Amino acid sequence: MEENDNFLIEKYLAGDGDAFKGLINKYTTPIYNFTVRFVGKDSAEDLVQDIFIKVWKNLNKFDSNRASFKTWVFTITRNTITDYLRKKKVLLYSSFDKEEESYESNIEDEAVLPDEALIKLEDKNLLNSLLDKISPSYREVLILYYQEDMTFNEIGQLLNKPLNTVKSQHRRALMKLKEMLEERTP
Amino acid sequence: MNVEKNLHKLFQEAEYCPESRLSENIFNTIEHKSTQITKLKRFGYLSLSVLSLSGSVLSIKSLIEQSSKLGFYDYLSLAFSDSGVIATYWKEYVLSLADSLPIASLVISCLLLFVLFISIQRVSYQFKARSIA
Repeated sequence: MEENDNFLIEKYLAGDGDAFKGLINKYTTPIYNFTVRFVGKDSAEDLVQDIFIKVWKNLNKFDSNRASFKTWVFTITRNTITDYLRKKKVLLYSSFDKEEESYESNIEDEAVLPDEALIKLEDKNLLNSLLDKISPSYREVLILYYQEDMTFNEIGQLLNKPLNTVKSQHRRALMKLKEMLEERTP
Repeated sequence: MNVEKNLHKLFQEAEYCPESRLSENIFNTIEHKSTQITKLKRFGYLSLSVLSLSGSVLSIKSLIEQSSKLGFYDYLSLAFSDSGVIATYWKEYVLSLADSLPIASLVISCLLLFVLFISIQRVSYQFKARSIA
């Protein structure tokens, strides 16, 4: 997968414009999905376009030794979303990060996941409504891990956070999800 | 493990999909921007080529005139007509020859020729390059 991305980038940088089309086709849906979760459907398409323009303008700066293309694209996506929300005054710059500091180091990585309630979660509309309500810092970890199949290492690289912090954040997010789910069940 | 599996499956199902033409629209926008940038670069480099060509012609003309005024050609012709004198007084000859060179004009001419060469190279690259690449 990653080799394929690097191959397309090399082809594009060597002068094959269609190679970039391949990258756009591959990443439009994941980027759109991630963007919609933070800015809503009305602004998402324009923002996705801006994100790809940034990717296109900076593609010659991409270094495959430092991060995978997917991580790099999602870093640009996250920064663009943050800038957009900050401009709209919807989000303070630190909102993505604000909830983790107090607990990041005191949760065991191997601790059992909160299961029973989450196993019962089967409705995608319910999941989407819960994700809308959960804090951005939890939401992004859940989406990157479960929807984009990123590893905790990749997420850490993207969010610029240590591995254990990401793991704790993931676990806290699941606990919050469970809590919200239980609040809904009579 | 079951929770993870279940969540992976559910998250995949819950993915928001864009309208079908979004990829195509993005590609077209980027292609349009790329074409605009290429046109702008072509215009810039072409203008630079024309300016540096005119500058080069003028500075070479001035270089020839000044070389003549400073007696550079007289010293140079001496090398072909009386090589014996040059062999004896070669140090003085080299100094006189260097002294008769219009250094400023020479530097400006070389600089303009260099700019001309680079701009022609860039223009030909811009014409060869495909728009989005």
